[in-house]
Amino acid sequence: MDLPQGTLDLLILKAIALERQHGWAISERIEQISNSALKVNQGSLYPALHRLERRGWIKADWDVSDNNRRAKYYRLTKKGQKQLEEQTGAWRSLSAAINLLLDHS
Amino acid sequence: MFTDLYFRLRALVRRPTVERELDDELRFHLDHQIEKYVAAGMTPAEAARRARIEFGGVDQVMEACRDARGVSLVDTLLQDLRYGGRMLRRSPTFSCIAIATIALATAAIATVTSLADTLLWRHLRAADAATLVSVSATRGRPTEGVVSYPDYASFRDRATTVSGLAAHYSTAPLFVAVGATAKEVNGAVVSASYFPLLGLQPALGRFFHAEEDRVPDRDRVAVLGYDFWRTWFAADPSAVGSALTINGVPFTIVGVAPANPVALTPLPVNVYIPTMMLRVGYRWCKDSLASDCNTLGMVGRLAGGRSVAEAAAEFAAIMPERWRHAPIGENRGVAVRQPRGMSEDDEEPRLVATLGAVAILLLVVCCANLGGLLSAQAASRQDEFAIRVSLGAGPLRIVRQVITESLLLALAGGAGGLVLSRVFIGALSRMFFSMDDEGHPLVYDFSPSMPILLATLAAALAAGLLFSAVPAMTAVRRSSLRPLATRSTSARWAASRGLLAVQAAVAVALVATAALLASSARLVLTGRNYDASHVALMRLRPRLVQYTPERAQRFQREVVERLRAVPSVESVSMVGVGSILGGGTAKAALPGWPKELEMTVRYNEVGPAYFDTVRTPLIEGREFADSDTLQAPPVAVVNETLAARLWPTPAQATVGKPDGRWLDTVIVINGTPRQVVGVVADAAITSRTQAAQPWAYVPFWQNAGAIDSRIAVRTSGDPAALLPELAREVHPIDPAVPIADTITLPVQIAGLTRPVRVAALFIGYAAALAMLLTAIGLYGALAFAVSRRTKEIGIRLALGAARGRLVASIVREGLGVVLAGAAMGIVLAILASRLVASLLYGSAGSDWLFYAAAAAAVGVAGLGASLLPARRAAGVEPIVALRQE
Repeated sequence: MDLPQGTLDLLILKAIALERQHGWAISERIEQISNSALKVNQGSLYPALHRLERRGWIKADWDVSDNNRRAKYYRLTKKGQKQLEEQTGAWRSLSAAINLLLDHS
Repeated sequence: MFTDLYFRLRALVRRPTVERELDDELRFHLDHQIEKYVAAGMTPAEAARRARIEFGGVDQVMEACRDARGVSLVDTLLQDLRYGGRMLRRSPTFSCIAIATIALATAAIATVTSLADTLLWRHLRAADAATLVSVSATRGRPTEGVVSYPDYASFRDRATTVSGLAAHYSTAPLFVAVGATAKEVNGAVVSASYFPLLGLQPALGRFFHAEEDRVPDRDRVAVLGYDFWRTWFAADPSAVGSALTINGVPFTIVGVAPANPVALTPLPVNVYIPTMMLRVGYRWCKDSLASDCNTLGMVGRLAGGRSVAEAAAEFAAIMPERWRHAPIGENRGVAVRQPRGMSEDDEEPRLVATLGAVAILLLVVCCANLGGLLSAQAASRQDEFAIRVSLGAGPLRIVRQVITESLLLALAGGAGGLVLSRVFIGALSRMFFSMDDEGHPLVYDFSPSMPILLATLAAALAAGLLFSAVPAMTAVRRSSLRPLATRSTSARWAASRGLLAVQAAVAVALVATAALLASSARLVLTGRNYDASHVALMRLRPRLVQYTPERAQRFQREVVERLRAVPSVESVSMVGVGSILGGGTAKAALPGWPKELEMTVRYNEVGPAYFDTVRTPLIEGREFADSDTLQAPPVAVVNETLAARLWPTPAQATVGKPDGRWLDTVIVINGTPRQVVGVVADAAITSRTQAAQPWAYVPFWQNAGAIDSRIAVRTSGDPAALLPELAREVHPIDPAVPIADTITLPVQIAGLTRPVRVAALFIGYAAALAMLLTAIGLYGALAFAVSRRTKEIGIRLALGAARGRLVASIVREGLGVVLAGAAMGIVLAILASRLVASLLYGSAGSDWLFYAAAAAAVGVAGLGASLLPARRAAGVEPIVALRQE
């Protein structure tokens, strides 16, 4: 299933909420957690990462990865943390409302 | 916000690093993906293929990342600029025409802004100019009113909103003698507080001590202007301490003012004396320091934290009590404002606004023209655009490209315009702003300023955006993937037809207006009922050297007799008030009228043969003669307008029809009954918006108080050549008497009517440019249409069409547009002439001639512009044309 519009940012923020990740790991993580139900289009993942970085929601550092290669790790900033909370809340109320609507009829 | 900026900057400045990082990051991802697939059992080659397909185009992703990082805005701009530069280099002719056109149009904008800045906007060039205020009396009219010394002192001592209040009379004609050199120069009578208040430091010596400005007539000290010191004293420091004579009174020089003093008027100040010396500097009052002698302007420095409004409120509250009950025409209110600009002419704000409108109109015409040319160019570039669209450029990108190119052109043109405007301003300044109507040098500060730069930049940018609008739209419409070969020229020609007609209309309106103004500038010299040509002027001021009226009369008579004897002199006369053809005001009434009926009329004291000298027709009776002296019965001459007001004619009789009814009747002028001996035609310099005024003239010789005079000499030759000889004749009678303002009457009138001449020149420039542009635009459009129709024309010719008819059809097409525009233009011109009516002289009766001539001129230009492409069309060889493509 493709991601609904505008949810990629939220998923990225969620994926690195616990610990820093590099790009590939983020896409893997989203797929794994959603039981492969959600598939991240890799072509849009990186632009999204760069956009979030520009907004200051996430921060990137270069570090050595598990297999001894240089990789770019993204982690949540304070601003990003706040965004994550806000967007999670917004998404929850939206989906609850939509569920309500769908169940009702 | 800051992270955003940091990112964009980093992306821009450290581009190689950023690009490499992006590359590394994406490669890392791909490698991981491949490893994953290999681990799942794929062959490395298959895994790599699969990973790449999933990932999509690496280049697209990188581009999207760059977009996300915000690099691309600047990046594409640079790319557009590179493309733009390349395109402009590829068609140098077009680029040159475009840049030149914009330069000529923006130069007009920059010139007007410079005029506006200097005349209307600019602060004084003083330290902390924002806290300086000028304080003036109001007299029921907006003109600034001067005040008397006691009134100034009362304001100075009572005001608390200003930390200082200085008085100045900055246009004092002082007759200065140093050794054997004597000349009338412009001087200033200033309070001791004047220099410190304006923050000035002496270049040499000192300014006035406060003590030197306390006791009337005691301290004869003077400060020299810097240029005066350099020319009269050859910049000799020992000038300080030496003596000079001002209006016959010896003074001691105590200092020299700095080279760039704060100029309160355009007349440069050569000598400063303290206000307590006002009786030497101003000789037109019985007592120049009395409360009935208004001579002084005031300039104040706001006290810390006080606003102009607060000062205005305070000054209104503390103004002299008698002002509150004063009649209109005398000081009865007070105005406090920030001194802005150098304009002293009520007409000038209107003039600047008019010129501004013309400059904007010219810019719009330029844009229409370039838009037309550029869209023709865009049409011929449609293949290029189509290819770029098919290679993936979005329509927005194409539009941006077109706009970038236009902006490049516009900015280059704007820069040229800025440079050109300095030349124009230099010329305007030399021609119109370097001498006043009495021949005194003027100094206007036309130095470049921020408003000029901003206005030019704004004009250039606006022009760039405006003239790219049409081609940008054309480009978008065309860039939809239509077959590359299909072209439509007819639609484009129809669109540019409208633009061209509008251009022609504006050109006609501008040409007609410019012609009207130019003719007014000429008519004002040889106006209805006067002729200024061949009249030389000279001002004699025995009052400056303490002549009594009796002595002055003897002196003036001798002057007139001597000058009459000069060969080539036809007649000699003079006026006692104001200037030749000008004058002051007086009260006129018929005997027995109550005071309320008294009329305020224009008035002058004129010498014998005055009306003959200025060529004003005598309608009936006689003009003054040598015999009209103080001993003879008092007489007067009135003009038609006054005659009609005093003795309203029955309906059937018209003014000017001599019936002798009012000759020898008595009129009371300023309380003196006088016999009317003549009626003259209305002969004042009045523009179309000014009504004819009633005038009363009395003989110069019958004014017991007359001392100074302005002599007018009519000669059969060149009046300018006669000026030195006139001075040589008068000088020996009494070498002490100052001779000033030796100029010709045309020069004086030209100085008085500066706005009309400035407008005539400026609008003439705009008109010439608009006409040229219309011709170029028409030529370009027709030539383009013809080149696109070569094939069609070839077929027609092959089918036997006559070449003559072909030429005629193309010329008809071009002329049709121009003539339609010209018709609109005449309507515009009629409206425009209403707008500038205050600058027009002479009757409106023959205006239609100018409209017709303007339309004809633009028509001829249009004919020329269409003939060239038509002849090229007629020269088409059918075989060659058909082989094309």
